[in-house]
Amino acid sequence: MSEKEEGRPVNEQRRQILEMLGEGKITADEAERLINAVEREQPESPPGAAPRAKTRPKYLRVVVHSEDDFNGPSRVNVRVPLQLLRAGVRLTSLIPPQALTEVNAKLNKSGVPIDLTQLKPQHIEELIEQLDDVTVDVDDPDTKVQVFCE
Amino acid sequence: MIPQLVTYHQRRRDGRWLRLYVPVVPVALLLSPLLLVAGLAGLVACLVFRVSPVGALRGTAQVLWALPGSRFEIEQGRTAVLVSVR
Repeated sequence: MSEKEEGRPVNEQRRQILEMLGEGKITADEAERLINAVEREQPESPPGAAPRAKTRPKYLRVVVHSEDDFNGPSRVNVRVPLQLLRAGVRLTSLIPPQALTEVNAKLNKSGVPIDLTQLKPQHIEELIEQLDDVTVDVDDPDTKVQVFCE
Repeated sequence: MIPQLVTYHQRRRDGRWLRLYVPVVPVALLLSPLLLVAGLAGLVACLVFRVSPVGALRGTAQVLWALPGSRFEIEQGRTAVLVSVR
């Protein structure tokens, strides 16, 4: 983004993006990403003030674009709040031990030797905490996959 | 904040869109007798499978509270489905 644009108020930039969306120049997905970028580039505090801590990502995004000759192009765009992942992880602590044993046996049978009884909620919590910095980009001639936090 | 509005959009093969806006609280109030029965069934299931009912209730509430902001968009060819929770 140019210096001139950076100097503009965020509301004006956001309105311009929405106008471009209304005119059909960009897609809703692109508009969302642009607005996020504008908000990220907004000065955190007035000059001279102490810098604020970097805002933490709130969502996990999975974007898949695929070109299939048979079924036509396909697109998947999933946005999941990280808080939902944490809540889901806490639910796993409610799984009865006998169910975990059965799942372990089935996983072993399927060639995935993972012992779920060793997987503690706090370990998965730590994993989710570190998800903030994860970015996965897979580029294939027909398929593009992106996993990132925003 | 619990979910307020669930939006379901579906583009059919003929290109027309089906748009459903589901206000969660009024629908939950309308279905409250069924929810009561479902709650009782859940309590019985917790007791049968020896899961803490309080923990299960807390976990379900946390999942419900974390749902707003979720968005699922799937498009293939002329068919598309969008589910959004706000």
